[in-house]
Amino acid sequence: MTATTSAPRRRGGLGTKAVLPWLFLAPGLLLALVFKFLPMGKGIWLSFFDVRPFLGDQWVGLDNYTRVLTDHRFQDAIGHTLVLGVGQSLGAIVVGFFLALLLEGQARSLKIMRTAVFLPVVTATAVVGELWRLMYYPTSDGLVNSALGFLGLGPTPFLDNPDTALWATMVMGIWMVAPYNMVIILAGLAGVDRTLYEAAAMDGVSLWQRLRHVTLPAIRPAIGIVLTLAAIRGLRVFTEVYVLTGGGPAGSTEVWMTRAYTLGFTRNDIGGASAASVVLLAVTLLLTVTVNHFRKRGDVR
Amino acid sequence: MGVRRRIRRLAAVITVAGLAFGAAACGSGSDSAGGGDPNTLEVWTRSNPDPAATYERVFAAFTEKTGIKIDYQPVINFDQQLQSRASTKDLPDVMINDTALMGSYQSQGLLEPIDPAAIEGHDQITDKTWSSTVGIDGEHYGIPYSRQAQTLMIRKDWLRNLGLDAPTTWAEMIGVAKAFADRDPDGDGKKNTYGMVVPGSAQNGYAAWWGASFLWSGGAKIIEPDGKGYRPAMDSPAALRTVTWMKDNLFCGDNGVIQPGAITAVTGTATNFQDGNAGMYLTGPYNIATYDATPGKDKFDVVPFPAGPAGSTVLADGENIYFGARTGRTRQEQALASFLISPEGQRLAMTGENQPVVRIPVNSTLDAAQVRDDPRWSVVQKAYEDASEQFPNAPDFAPVKQDTADALNAVFTYCGSDVGSSLKELNDTLAGDLEDQDLLK
Repeated sequence: MTATTSAPRRRGGLGTKAVLPWLFLAPGLLLALVFKFLPMGKGIWLSFFDVRPFLGDQWVGLDNYTRVLTDHRFQDAIGHTLVLGVGQSLGAIVVGFFLALLLEGQARSLKIMRTAVFLPVVTATAVVGELWRLMYYPTSDGLVNSALGFLGLGPTPFLDNPDTALWATMVMGIWMVAPYNMVIILAGLAGVDRTLYEAAAMDGVSLWQRLRHVTLPAIRPAIGIVLTLAAIRGLRVFTEVYVLTGGGPAGSTEVWMTRAYTLGFTRNDIGGASAASVVLLAVTLLLTVTVNHFRKRGDVR
Repeated sequence: MGVRRRIRRLAAVITVAGLAFGAAACGSGSDSAGGGDPNTLEVWTRSNPDPAATYERVFAAFTEKTGIKIDYQPVINFDQQLQSRASTKDLPDVMINDTALMGSYQSQGLLEPIDPAAIEGHDQITDKTWSSTVGIDGEHYGIPYSRQAQTLMIRKDWLRNLGLDAPTTWAEMIGVAKAFADRDPDGDGKKNTYGMVVPGSAQNGYAAWWGASFLWSGGAKIIEPDGKGYRPAMDSPAALRTVTWMKDNLFCGDNGVIQPGAITAVTGTATNFQDGNAGMYLTGPYNIATYDATPGKDKFDVVPFPAGPAGSTVLADGENIYFGARTGRTRQEQALASFLISPEGQRLAMTGENQPVVRIPVNSTLDAAQVRDDPRWSVVQKAYEDASEQFPNAPDFAPVKQDTADALNAVFTYCGSDVGSSLKELNDTLAGDLEDQDLLK
């Protein structure tokens, strides 16, 4: 141990020190380069072509973009994506916050509870989707509908009604993501100065005031992280929708990514699908930068 | 100065790591795939593990006979994988996949043209079957391998319990479906059964795939040949009548005629026939082996699709053998194709304990019912030979199928919608699809 750490130091120099982290980063960077940034670059490149690998790609300029952006199905998909992305993100933050408040503490039983609550995050989305399909089963055999039955409400076809399908998908999304937010917020809560709570209790403030003036300001950085992640994740929602409804019924849950997927792999229009993905990339980037900007400004303040 | 040196070092590190990485990748590549060996063919089929076991048996017999090795890959998400392989310009040597995809593959240049005369045993395939592999430019782009037609799977024990006969017309079919839903055909005292299984999702074009037999038996067409091109035909009175009938009787009529959740169901999730709570399923014969296990061979029958206003014409499809473009192993590929269409190859693929991968043989010297010693297969063969139609394979049918499925799914979802205007809109979309391919006449 001592030998390895002292050896480079003896040879000394700023250079070695600076190179070392890069050396450790290199495998990760290389993998990212090969599997992330090169394909991404190729995707951007292909979005300007009519892609026909064996007949020669044809340069079409911005045609793919105009086609995608003027397609009314894509326009509908934007609406659904925004509703789903925003609703799912905010819902997951609120639910995650309350889960964190409920499950904060040191007791062993809480640890077990936290692990149980965290399970949806580590379960494959495809599996979660299949489970929720069963839970949403549109007769009284389905879990949700049998629960509604106890309340005297008739079975509802959650996924088969175009008015409810998107909301049903959103609920599943919140269920999946909320525990992840919970963990980050829990970490934030751990840093809250306990004496502030005691002082607040002495002053006889209400629960809501305590949340509003002590807890929320203290976990502000955690909320910032959660928001940034939500901004990145929110718009590229795909698996949930694809597994649960496949974009149906009647396209009522079609989101940007499922539309791009259909374009690329069912209709074999790789150029159009690339253009759609590039647009999504640009919007996500913009959103992330914006959220980060406001977060930093907030931090400075 | 420090910065520049750092960058140079970083570049060196990346280069070295890249070389190591690249070398490792090359090494593993040539070991596993046998990419350089001219006597090994990479073969892809779109198969689950069960039918893949049948393919493995067939390929083993081929290797034993000819010494040509097969690197066999059953691929479940075939289209996606193929597109990504195509983008690297490295296709499998031989692919076996749906007939209706031929136009799509050909339009992308993925396929090698085929001279039927170069395939030994080509004369044992009928001209009618060969004609289904002619591309838009008049050349053959596939070798027929297996054919099938949709038939109606129906619970004969339920029919018996209720004292009913198998339906022969659409009206009778709806009657039976209602009886299956309402009159407790399984006798357990609960209302837990449905008339018919429908994979009605637009995903992968299922609504069009399943609905095609209804359209054709109702006298409608999706697109029609017209001179040298095609024209959309979903605005016809027959199409309006048929789609309206489907909407009113199946999707928006009495509860229980079709299974719950049909409008978002794909074949993978439409398992009600197998689960034993739905009594009819219009589908291909590949499931016969599965249904022999559950609900059980003695519980169901295979009957022709009941006749609509224009008779009973069902969707036929099947698989073709395709040669990937630019692989340069033509001799071995032709040998494999000859074996696959030979009586021996077809027989092997039709029998065994796993799901058969040849349904109706393309080799005219074989009879499906005889080979399997199972008269139910003659129902399928008869449906294929006498009263079936395929999706046109010459144009790229993929967008046409997807748009039709989207429109049908929407009509069936919104019960209050106007079918006529939806179909007109679909017709315009189809015209656009054909125009994109320069086929609109």
